[in-house]
Amino acid sequence: MSTGSITPLVALLWVLNVVLDTGGQLAFKAAAGDPAAGDGFARWLYMARRPWIWLGIASYVIEFLIWIAFLSLLPLSQAILLGSINIVAIMVAGRLLFGEKLTRLRVAGILLVTLGVAIVGVGG
Amino acid sequence: MKRGWFYLIGFLVLVLFDSVGAISFKYAGMHALPVEASTAWLLRLFGKPWIYGAVVGYIGAFFTWMTLLKHAPIGPAFAASHLEVVSVMLLSIWLFHEPLTLPHVLGAIAIVAGIVCLGFAESREHVPEEGSAPAQT
Repeated sequence: MSTGSITPLVALLWVLNVVLDTGGQLAFKAAAGDPAAGDGFARWLYMARRPWIWLGIASYVIEFLIWIAFLSLLPLSQAILLGSINIVAIMVAGRLLFGEKLTRLRVAGILLVTLGVAIVGVGG
Repeated sequence: MKRGWFYLIGFLVLVLFDSVGAISFKYAGMHALPVEASTAWLLRLFGKPWIYGAVVGYIGAFFTWMTLLKHAPIGPAFAASHLEVVSVMLLSIWLFHEPLTLPHVLGAIAIVAGIVCLGFAESREHVPEEGSAPAQT
């Protein structure tokens, strides 16, 4: 199997995957980080009665199909590397929505991951 | 130290579930080709066992992830969970005979270096939380 080329369809699936993954993660963080949720089984019940966890699950179900389509069109080793851009998206989103700190080390990490994804994306 | 073990074992379980999920996803996609936005594709997809392996990986990763997220900040936790990149790359070279090209190797090195940076950023962040050391920024 040769390395896959990035067609417009592959690029579209890649963008949709990033958006859905980030949206889903943020919804899960909103559900899991709620201090009023309590502990143990009661915590799960509390989360199930609020919309966040369901929004996260819905994003994941759609992402599930998008990701399979993406993986069908590219070699897995290439696809999993391109998927690492999710790390960058989630960090930036965490910073914007939850005020999580972007220290110098984190910025360095984000730049390195972006560089790596760019090398794989451009180099094939 | 208890929390350290909790994270280590939790993240190893997460990487395991993620790797099983990714491999199953690939097999599921391969057995349902060609990709099309149709019910025929969905029927081909759900008619083979692979997708259920992916579901198990997904659900396992989900509960592991939700347990870890209760204490970990989302960004670094997410980064640590992404070390699955390496395990999945090695497994796909072995299972799917995929070529290991130079851009892939260089890209993987940069990505893993980035993930390691994010991991250090996390452990530095957790020092003040665990007590003795003064707050640092």
